[in-house]
Amino acid sequence: MSTGDGATPGTATLGRRTPGLVPVTETMRTSERRAPEPPPAAAPEPPEPAARAMGAFWRLLGSELGLTFRRPRNLVMLAVLAMVPVVVGVALRAFGSGDDDMSGIVQDVAGNSLMLTFVSFSFLVLLLMPVAVSVVAGDSIAGEAGGGTLRYLLAAPAGRTRLLAVKYLNAAVYAYAVTAVVALSALVTGLILFPAGDVTLLSGTTISLGDGLLRIAVAVAYVGAGMAALAAVAVALSTFTEVPIGAIAGTMVLVIVCQVLRAIPELAVITPYLLPTWFTNFDAVLRAPIDMGALGEGLLAFGAYIVLFGSIAWARFSGKDITS
Amino acid sequence: MRRGTFVRWGVPIAAAAVIGAAIGAGPVIAAVRGEPVLPERSAEQLLADAVAATGKDGGLPPMSGTVQQTASLGLPALPQTGSASPLSLLSGSHEVKVWYGAADKLRVAMPTQLNETNLILNGGQAWYWDSATNTATKLTVKPGTRPAGTSTPVPQPADLTPQQVAARVLANTGEHTAVRVINTAQVAGRPVYQLVLAPKDDGSLVQEIRIALDGETYVPLQVQVYARGSAEPAYQVGFTQVTFTPPAEENFAFTPPAGAKVEERTLGADGIGQRAEERAEHAKDVAGDLKVVGDGWTSVAVVPFSLADLTAAANGQSGQNGQSGPAGDGGDRFGGEGDPRALLDSVLKSATPVSGTWGSGKLIKTKLVTALLTDDGRLLVGAVTPEEIVKAAGVR
Repeated sequence: MSTGDGATPGTATLGRRTPGLVPVTETMRTSERRAPEPPPAAAPEPPEPAARAMGAFWRLLGSELGLTFRRPRNLVMLAVLAMVPVVVGVALRAFGSGDDDMSGIVQDVAGNSLMLTFVSFSFLVLLLMPVAVSVVAGDSIAGEAGGGTLRYLLAAPAGRTRLLAVKYLNAAVYAYAVTAVVALSALVTGLILFPAGDVTLLSGTTISLGDGLLRIAVAVAYVGAGMAALAAVAVALSTFTEVPIGAIAGTMVLVIVCQVLRAIPELAVITPYLLPTWFTNFDAVLRAPIDMGALGEGLLAFGAYIVLFGSIAWARFSGKDITS
Repeated sequence: MRRGTFVRWGVPIAAAAVIGAAIGAGPVIAAVRGEPVLPERSAEQLLADAVAATGKDGGLPPMSGTVQQTASLGLPALPQTGSASPLSLLSGSHEVKVWYGAADKLRVAMPTQLNETNLILNGGQAWYWDSATNTATKLTVKPGTRPAGTSTPVPQPADLTPQQVAARVLANTGEHTAVRVINTAQVAGRPVYQLVLAPKDDGSLVQEIRIALDGETYVPLQVQVYARGSAEPAYQVGFTQVTFTPPAEENFAFTPPAGAKVEERTLGADGIGQRAEERAEHAKDVAGDLKVVGDGWTSVAVVPFSLADLTAAANGQSGQNGQSGPAGDGGDRFGGEGDPRALLDSVLKSATPVSGTWGSGKLIKTKLVTALLTDDGRLLVGAVTPEEIVKAAGVR
């Protein structure tokens, strides 16, 4: 590569060299991004106090989140995901009554509003939620590289590690937002269409409404963690390419391949190592007592994925030649 | 490549190593820590303790845990069956949760994806709850009778707890078996005695059966059946996690949830009693025709059974002479809903034709069991090598 100092990410060096870089047309995105950054943070002050560094970190995260949640594409994905529980709920309400051969979980929905959340999760964690998460996470680094804005981001003496952390946290927050939107939409739809009241668990035990809401919160935390783990994979892929669609498609292919492998009974040995296997473990909160073992195992698997792919992303990104 | 690159990529490699180590830590730690210290015991002592522990009514301490059952019997590929079907237990691995409070307090739960099947026993009452059908079945058990696995719609794993399997095997120890004790094993993180029962006869397909008894309570924690010449157990049922603390009372309390279908069944009532009688009669018929060749581990059961009936039942499937070989069994996997016809079909396809002075027949061999269907209408089944079963076929 032309920039020989790629292996030693001296941001100060890059900062000094900024004026010499090839001029890039200032797009809407770059100007938007530069705006919230306060001038002091961009000033090359070699030893920054820790507090100010943290402040800069949160400011950067804030601006990233602002960009993510203002981008129409991401909002449309959230809206689509919010529509699914509504459609499922209306369909169950309209066509689901009277038939005796409904499966148990669908009958449970008809009996209680909170169950719609779990049914929606069981549909969406397989494909649609991973799509939304991998679009945002896969776009994180590759999008900047493809848009030519990555070097400006690195021009600030923030360091690549910090930028990567901000990008990942941004994706993780979006992952939780996706999960929360689905849960809230399902909850509201359920409360409107179906009777509220005591919740019947899979074990046949009945719990109070408040307890049921608490369990939904646990399920949201768990599924969100799973989506955040998927975001780590997508961010790692994103550091390997300058084409965001490559990272997004790569993540989706991985998810789909995992689902296919899970469906083959002969390969049951490897299923515990596949990430999507653990997404559906949220049904542990519907048992009495809550199956903490299953939840804990799932969270450990998510943690392992985040650590592994986070470190891969870091190793790649901190040594990458930034050419755009 | 610079030095920095290697150092940097060392981080994910180290992360992968740590994760791999954490996954494989259980066996590694057990191996490093060496043998758990349990005083040596003779087989007789241990057997006596075990029989005392299993035989005494209510002698088991309260406990709860996860039981896993794994079978790799080397069966010809079975057609896919529902997850609740008994046939599904013949291959793959299954997990149930067990809470045991006292002799009349038991909960067995079989969790599956967004479903759960429960059997709850409390006093003279038993509930069977199936969340898939949203049905609660109340089984009233007559005092003094325990629900037998064959006459109630209990989940099949109920009669697969280590206790019951061990009791069954313990009843068969005798002159044909070499018994030894290993005092260095671990099951579910607890030191156990392993009672190893090895058939003395070389004709048996079973290499050994290992029963793990908890070092403290002598509760059977695991049963493993090893086939001859394989390092992994062909069949295994045992606790993967166990605690000997009394489980919470609410595990044994069950009230049918609102909106659920509630059915009632009394065990021993007329309908079921009659059915049981019929079944007993049928069993007697079969027993009358049954002949046992050989003894001990190499005994072979001979039942009159004609291939013609079988194929007639299999809807005119023509005899598959010569259509042997394991390659033929793949196509049925997506076929039937586990109906006997598809099953028969796939089993027969994998049969090998054999012949001898006694005639000819089809041999079906799995890791633990060999079956021979002769053309003169006999079915021979035994846990023996094909040579033994062919020899047994010559015995009239």
